[in-house]
Amino acid sequence: MTAPTMTDRTGLTGWLQRRRGVLITAALLVAFPFIISIVVDGQGLAAVWSNEQGNARFLQGLAIEVFILALYALSYDLILGVTGLLSFGHAMFFAVGAYVVLIAALLQAFLFAIVLPRVKGITFALVTLGFASVFWIVIQSSDLQEWAGAEIGLQGVEAPVWFLDTTNHRFAFYLVSLAILLGVFVLYQRIIDAPAGKVFASIRENEDRSLMLGYNTFWFKLMVLVVASITAALAGAMHTMHQPIVTPNVASLAFTVTALLIILIGGVGTLTGALVGAAVYRLLQFYLDRWYGAASELLIGLAYVLLVLYLPYGIVGTWRARSLRIKEGRDRLLQMVTGASKETSSPEE
Amino acid sequence: MSVILETQSLRREFGALVAVDDVSVKIEEGSLHSIIGPNGAGKTTFFNLVSGTLKPTAGRVFYKGEDITDLPVHRTIHEGIGRSFQITNIFPNLTVFENIRLASQALGSDSYRLFRSHLKFTEHLERTNEVLEEVGLTSRAPTLARTLPHGDQRKLELGMILAPDPDVLMLDEPTAGMAAEQVPELMALVQSIQEAGNKTVVLVEHNMNVVMSVSDRITVMHQGALLAEGTPAEISADETVQTAYLGALYNEEPGRDGGKT
Ligand SMILES: Nc1ncnc2c1ncn2[C@@H]1O[C@H](COP(=O)(O)OP(=O)(O)OP(=O)(O)O)[C@@H](O)[C@H]1O
Ligand SMILES: [Mg+2]
Repeated sequence: MTAPTMTDRTGLTGWLQRRRGVLITAALLVAFPFIISIVVDGQGLAAVWSNEQGNARFLQGLAIEVFILALYALSYDLILGVTGLLSFGHAMFFAVGAYVVLIAALLQAFLFAIVLPRVKGITFALVTLGFASVFWIVIQSSDLQEWAGAEIGLQGVEAPVWFLDTTNHRFAFYLVSLAILLGVFVLYQRIIDAPAGKVFASIRENEDRSLMLGYNTFWFKLMVLVVASITAALAGAMHTMHQPIVTPNVASLAFTVTALLIILIGGVGTLTGALVGAAVYRLLQFYLDRWYGAASELLIGLAYVLLVLYLPYGIVGTWRARSLRIKEGRDRLLQMVTGASKETSSPEE
Repeated sequence: MSVILETQSLRREFGALVAVDDVSVKIEEGSLHSIIGPNGAGKTTFFNLVSGTLKPTAGRVFYKGEDITDLPVHRTIHEGIGRSFQITNIFPNLTVFENIRLASQALGSDSYRLFRSHLKFTEHLERTNEVLEEVGLTSRAPTLARTLPHGDQRKLELGMILAPDPDVLMLDEPTAGMAAEQVPELMALVQSIQEAGNKTVVLVEHNMNVVMSVSDRITVMHQGALLAEGTPAEISADETVQTAYLGALYNEEPGRDGGKT
């Protein structure tokens, strides 16, 4: 990365090459329901579109849950992993979306964003915790029962358009949520590679120095919080479409911890880790529960301990560190053999 | 010559302690002005007050005739004052290249761009390469900053304030903790930057040989207050300075910074 590498290809081929990971993932996931329909269910291709009952339909439902969790965890990774801000209030943004008050979500994002970028470190964490607690009390309150349903939550929210109707048009909703997830993922990747994203990383590394370099870190933290809270609200709204019963649990502290857990599993600050982590988290939870019932909680706990022990940087983070080490070793070997000093590329993503 | 930076009765208290005690200094444009004094004299605190890291209890700071006392810390560099730190203050888990690149990118509005790759902003990349060359870190560009040896981290620290090309460089012990043989090289670099760009350098430095040979003027601080000011010749001849500071420093602290012989 020393010299401006202007060799990277532009135009369509360049784009295809740079985004091949996302494109391959997209292709596989679009094909997935069809494969299940044919191989497992013994139904035809058309069964997927006509919404037949079976494994294909069921697994799409599970996958949609993963997509929504991934979107939510992705937004948390931007705040914590990329920018280094520890927030305990992230579930609140999701919940606002889940309660389908998008206008309020935007207002809230700006409102909180004006307070939050002014505080640092542990104060930031405490302020977010405070906001989240207030929010939690508010949505459960009986005064708001008419709109928020108090302890029970919302029930029977109807899909506004057919492609958001998970019951009757599951494949359409599957495609929509997949597209939203991957679209936001690509957007986030662009953000962390852009000048502003680089400033986010500098805030995580050393905010005081970032200020001294001339960055008004307030505005950058504001950008992060606005982008992430809108994303979380979007995930929340999709959640409501998918599970027409919304309980106040989505606003609880535990649900923020879920985001934290997902990115810890996947790899903090890697973005890809949020997607991988969400899949591992939800599938482990679902299948362990199905196979072992009551014992599953214990097994899940055990699985997390093992993951943390053996993959300290999460799945994606550890993978990258390993492949980097392998690459360094290979380069050193090459150097020894050829005597040429070929520079290793930057380990920073 | 005109005064570029001036403090008027600048004061900072920490509880009962007066760390900077009514210090008034004038710094000439284009000069190399050193601030010396024993440990705890208030030199770093003085730097913190001028650069906006700390707010003074009383007194004002003027830069090019303008009152900058209440300027927020992130504005100082936009005005043209760059400041380096006694204790290395870098982005440890970013590459050397990225550390300097962030410093190069900071002044314009480019940093607010959210969707365009930073690699497309070639002027920052070019500036980064220039600075790396200048401080001699080109070969370390892809290394993580925290894995650099101490001496190279000091060079990086310097590079980060050179990148935005400020008019005034405030260097707080740029050679602190450097190996003795690296000191002349770094000081030669500082001098060449100052002379070539007609820049003003405010230098805090413990190594007396260095201070006496590079400075145009020297301000001596002692227990927060101004003790003396003058040319290197005047300062080394000054008796109060001799007894209060220089003698003590030479006798009691041999080999501090590893730079004294
Ligand atoms: N943030 C702070 N809070 C309380 N006391 C402080 C603070 N910063 C500095 N001091 C005190 O102010 C006095 C001056 O410290 P300062 O760091 O400015 O000295 P210095 O001249 O830079 O010393 P050195 O040569 O060791 O770097 C010291 O007694 C120090 O303990
Ligand atoms: Mg000091």
